[in-house]
Amino acid sequence: MARLKEELLKELSDCVFEMEDEKVISVAQEYIDTGYDPLEGITEGLVDGMNRAGVMYEEEEYFITDLLICSDAMYNGLNVLRPHLPQNKLEGEKTYKCVIGVVEGDTHDIGKNLVRIMLETAGFEIYDLGRDVPLRNFIDKAKEVDADLICLSTLMTTTMPGMKKVVEMLKEENMYGKVKVMIGGGPVSQAYCDKIEAHGYSPNAVEAVKLAKSLVGMGIPAK
Amino acid sequence: MNSRERLLSVLKGNKVDRLPCICPGGMMNMIITELMERTGIMWPDAHIDANKMADLAAAVYEYGMFENYGVPFCMTIEAEAMGAGIDMGSKIFEPHVVDYVIDSVSEYNKLKALDVNSGRAKVTIDAISILNNKGSGVPIVGNLSGPISVASSLMEPVTYYKELRRKREDSHKFMEFVTEQIIKFGQAQVEAGADLITISDPSGTGEILGPKYFEEYAVKYLNMLIDGIREVDKDFPIIVHICGQMRSVYSQINELKADAFSFDAVVNIKEIRKHMEDKILMGNISSFALQSANEEKIKRMTENSINSGINIVSPACGLGTQSPMKNIQAILKTVRGEN
Repeated sequence: MARLKEELLKELSDCVFEMEDEKVISVAQEYIDTGYDPLEGITEGLVDGMNRAGVMYEEEEYFITDLLICSDAMYNGLNVLRPHLPQNKLEGEKTYKCVIGVVEGDTHDIGKNLVRIMLETAGFEIYDLGRDVPLRNFIDKAKEVDADLICLSTLMTTTMPGMKKVVEMLKEENMYGKVKVMIGGGPVSQAYCDKIEAHGYSPNAVEAVKLAKSLVGMGIPAK
Repeated sequence: MNSRERLLSVLKGNKVDRLPCICPGGMMNMIITELMERTGIMWPDAHIDANKMADLAAAVYEYGMFENYGVPFCMTIEAEAMGAGIDMGSKIFEPHVVDYVIDSVSEYNKLKALDVNSGRAKVTIDAISILNNKGSGVPIVGNLSGPISVASSLMEPVTYYKELRRKREDSHKFMEFVTEQIIKFGQAQVEAGADLITISDPSGTGEILGPKYFEEYAVKYLNMLIDGIREVDKDFPIIVHICGQMRSVYSQINELKADAFSFDAVVNIKEIRKHMEDKILMGNISSFALQSANEEKIKRMTENSINSGINIVSPACGLGTQSPMKNIQAILKTVRGEN
């Protein structure tokens, strides 16, 4: 006998939250085979589990390695559910686009990768430029994809001035404001953010999602 | 009391006339572009030439920036010796890893063994010998990258961190191999005349690993490294620098066998002192402030740092290469009570 949708959604969420990256595949398959809505499986199941993990991270019960393993479970579930989503998006629904990368001179990308995962979980369309990214590439990519947000990360003091240069380049190109800039990483602070006139600073990946949403106005109904 | 005697006394918990003021080198970079331009000794040349490396390290002391010599100026030497591809950077950017060697911890047997008689490991050892021959009473700091930081420079870090949990047996074999290579480099630094060694492990933080894995991997292999170095000299002084917030690992950090501990700017010294009562603490003047604030602000920050009960005054992280020299000099002037 088929299991109730609520029961399976809870199990999808638990698989992500409890880092069950193999079991999640069979649960997601059972959910689809029973004929339940794939979008709901993603938002109320997988993403719910990732959000619960995010709460634990904020409470310092989960750590970065925990979130990485949770995200593996989430992506494994997404691979099962995504092909069943309707092809056409709903009319008038905006996709928020984000260009993300580690600035030139630095190759530490663990924080950037975590922020990418959490932003993807929140529904952003991500263009990940990787690490040690020439500063010009952020501007070019943002222009090319009509991005709403640029996220810059560095763990080194030496490479922090690159963030300032990106902000300046955006101003020169008259893109500043239309494209918001969010910064983060070890030596970076709110004071530095204010100084270089970036739009926001986030101390960790969970805060980054809240900040990103508020910067682009995501989830706020259009007037 | 010269600066070498002062630093070594503090590290053994003895009384001194005033606090030492150092910046170790390695990940804790103390070289700025302004110093390169004044001396004419430029990066990346100074990363690959022992005389230039020694002269640039000595200039840090001669220009009144810090009371120590320290080499090397990056944290890529160990990874390069094991096969990683390095971009040597510029007079602004430090060398950094651009090509990994393996795809999984299980492939650790594909790594090259570190040879202290070749490449930039040899350059560093030779630079220490050159500095040692000066006999100038300035302490010579050798620098090592910590085991987790080296390991996560040899393969994709996200895969590495996941495999620490999923392939524990192979992860430990990998970490043992990596630590053995770093020990060889450390022992050679001691034999060449380093007075102390700073180990920086920015990729092995409590925030990334959580307390359980911090103990299983960070504490275990840092201690293996410290024990290995001390096979050459059983009381050899060692400082460990760890990045990030330490709250989750206060009890684990006390298990480390280092003489002194260095933390980054997010750590409140008065707060952490409660958990590390009898330890020697080093830090933690914001490197962001050193790059962007003025001398007056830095003087106040240095005074605050001294008043918070720090034992060794030092930047919280590696210096940004664009930091103005007068800002750096302001720390030492304040410590010496000169202004």
